[in-house]
Amino acid sequence: MVTNLSLAAALALTATSAAIEPPQAGTAGAPSAMSALEETTPEAGALGGVGLALKADKVLAVPLEGQQVYDRAVVLVRDGKIEAVGTAATVEIPEGYEVRDLGERWLMPGMLDLHAHIGGTFDINDAVYLANTGLRAKTAAIPSNPALDVALAAGVTTVLFIPGSATNVGGEGLLMKTGPDTWEGSMVRDPGGMKIAQWGNPERWLFGVGKSFENYTIREILRRGAVYGDAWMAHSEGRGPEPRTDPQLEIFRFLRSGQAPIAVHTQVHQVVLATIKIIKQELGYDVFIDHGTFDGWRAGGIAAENGVNAILGPRNVSMPNRGLIGWVGDNPERAQGVAAGYYERGHRMIGFNTDSPVIPQEELQLQAAMGARFGLPDTSLETVRGLTIVPAVTVGMGDRLGSIEVGKDADILVIDGHPADPRTTVFEAYIDGSLLYDSEQKRLW
Amino acid sequence: MALPTLTALALSALLGPAPQEAAEAGRLAILTAKVLTCADEGPAFVNNAVVLIENGLIQAVGPAAELEVPEGYEVVDIGDGWLMPGMIDLHCHAAGLSLFKTNDLNDAVFLANPGLRASASVRPGIDTLRVAVAGGVTSVLYIPGSATNIGGQGVLLKTGLLEYEDMEIRNPGSMKLAQAGNPERFLFGVGRSFMNWNTRKTVTRGMAYARNWVVGVAQGAKEHPDPQWDVFRALNEKRTQISAHTQVYQVVLMTITMMKRDLGLDVYIDHGSVGGWRAGAIAEQYGVPAIIGPRSIDTTSAVFQRVTAARLPGIRGLAAGYQSLGHTNIGFNTDSPMIPQEELQLQSALAVRYGFVDDQLQAARGLTIVPAKAAGIDHLVGSIEVGKHADLLWIDGHPADPRSAVRSVWIEGTRVYGRPGQERLW
Repeated sequence: MVTNLSLAAALALTATSAAIEPPQAGTAGAPSAMSALEETTPEAGALGGVGLALKADKVLAVPLEGQQVYDRAVVLVRDGKIEAVGTAATVEIPEGYEVRDLGERWLMPGMLDLHAHIGGTFDINDAVYLANTGLRAKTAAIPSNPALDVALAAGVTTVLFIPGSATNVGGEGLLMKTGPDTWEGSMVRDPGGMKIAQWGNPERWLFGVGKSFENYTIREILRRGAVYGDAWMAHSEGRGPEPRTDPQLEIFRFLRSGQAPIAVHTQVHQVVLATIKIIKQELGYDVFIDHGTFDGWRAGGIAAENGVNAILGPRNVSMPNRGLIGWVGDNPERAQGVAAGYYERGHRMIGFNTDSPVIPQEELQLQAAMGARFGLPDTSLETVRGLTIVPAVTVGMGDRLGSIEVGKDADILVIDGHPADPRTTVFEAYIDGSLLYDSEQKRLW
Repeated sequence: MALPTLTALALSALLGPAPQEAAEAGRLAILTAKVLTCADEGPAFVNNAVVLIENGLIQAVGPAAELEVPEGYEVVDIGDGWLMPGMIDLHCHAAGLSLFKTNDLNDAVFLANPGLRASASVRPGIDTLRVAVAGGVTSVLYIPGSATNIGGQGVLLKTGLLEYEDMEIRNPGSMKLAQAGNPERFLFGVGRSFMNWNTRKTVTRGMAYARNWVVGVAQGAKEHPDPQWDVFRALNEKRTQISAHTQVYQVVLMTITMMKRDLGLDVYIDHGSVGGWRAGAIAEQYGVPAIIGPRSIDTTSAVFQRVTAARLPGIRGLAAGYQSLGHTNIGFNTDSPMIPQEELQLQSALAVRYGFVDDQLQAARGLTIVPAKAAGIDHLVGSIEVGKHADLLWIDGHPADPRSAVRSVWIEGTRVYGRPGQERLW
């Protein structure tokens, strides 16, 4: 008992103090306490550890606004957060910080994928009803599963793990980090969002539904949900009685209070229009285009006007020679990049997703590469922003994720070139200041 | 004679204005910031270069400072652009796609069909080929599918020309072998032992036919061509090769040992994927080139893992695997339309991403000279060398970076894509 107590006390100390006295030789249980201490002393940069200074040739900081790139720069990390970023000339490294000089390498924020199905097992596509607002992806989540490990090695640090598209409302998604191996460590926000599939897959449902019934179903459940969520908000502000809890509609308390957005698998021009007109304009939800493909770009102008961000993939081009062309009335004359199409219509909040495992989670980078290949300008780091700050802001985590800015989570990648070049290697990935992937230790390819 | 007219009408409706410009005076000089020659001999690249073209052939390549442009040459200055040889895809099913993907070249009446010909299904100027040109693919080996062990004869084609006679580089371009992996779906549910027996038997019979032919001709016997076996005469005379869809370690071993070592046929690994890299050393030993794709990696998470012996901590690049075992002739293919024809570049990009060393322009060579040599057409195409076809790409940068755009394409000296004023496809 004494041994366990002193160990517990020692562990508690490590969590609060970086400078801890080693246990005196001869105290009860010293050897085991020593080894436990060695294992649990937080690393530099992580919560409870000493500060960490990363020196790099280039930092792609990509804040939503402000300076995007720093050359010959320093990033300070402490307690899992970014403490400073700037050129080496402007950032003073405090005494006691562990300094890592990365030479020619670059730093960028960890990438985010807002359309991922690999956060756990795939029993997240139940289709008993056509709208399943009560279902939760988190019941299938497995932190640090092999697909997430590979994702981390490719620089994907955060995913929105969402139900499949078998029905119009698949349920709640979970926003989770890829590296940490505990539920608490991996969870960013629960719920991360609600998944809607506007059209394109739910046609396979029991009775063979089509666009008109599907859009009616979506409108109907979102209207009921709004009443429920608004009643709870009124109650919390002292303006009404406590509503009866309905597990089918609980998610709407988050959606209506701005704590989580709706992620809509939406594609094809008139379907994206339905997303914008019904969910945003008519019902006032915070909503974004997710898994945006085909000729949804034709609605790029109205999406931009309505503040509906466009997360695009896994298919990033409309080709003239594809069988699906006839189905969507797509572009027969030339290859139209989906991202380029949104951009050309004035949209500036364009990001990328994989729909993993449809596109492997580790190939998020490639979506940006294909965006650039098929015409998305990259003069203002649009491709990099589309992998980082745009999805972060889109999912409502712009204050914590998606850029290398003071106060944000230290989710940082060490790379050797432009992230939209698939040949670029991720050498290291930090999450919350902890080095969770180190290619020197365990290179996955 | 109404049929050709209708065909021409249908084609022009599909393509808009004919994409070729009239053959220029026949003499062209291209000035460029960098030429990737992809040649075995001589410099791998030339900076600030000029390429002279006459009658569709490359006449000279050299630094602009040393090589003067003679009078009478049309000069095209591509500024910062690079020039590289047109890319070559040795695993293409998309040069004759008809509606709804019914592509007429995967017939499975018998398990071995050496007499069938992909050339019977070619559609010049089909939209897939038009997009291929825009992606820098100038030559393809259009081959039958893998429903049977021997699907038939492939044909080597230029993508950007509009008459079959102009397109054809060589017919038969190959005899297509699917060593294992797909023909299991055949009527009776065959497995590896029956398939390999059947293939061995068929090839042995075919080669006996070809040798008997040679003997018969020498003895003045009357010729009795057998369309089922004729392709073996081309194989016997080394006028064509076997392109083997082969993957998984022991299947690639069969390709190398049965076809090359035991039967003495020119063969290359085509559509090389899933675990086959473990046979990289023996492939190199027997001179069997490795054309890799459409799947460029082995992964722990993939279902395919179960059919390979691989136990991996993460992802193994297949090209990198062959290379790490000393293989020196590694190229890339798409299996179009499985991977779109225009994305051949991406196959090399993924190879580099997953560990393929690119310090000697191996990625660019794998798109050009390596497949040209594997298919035995390197005297015509695959590098920018004097006397070869002027199949050239104006490209923004390194071909293994998918962001590098192809600005213009010349085939045999004629600009077939990206003329001034012509809108690019993307």
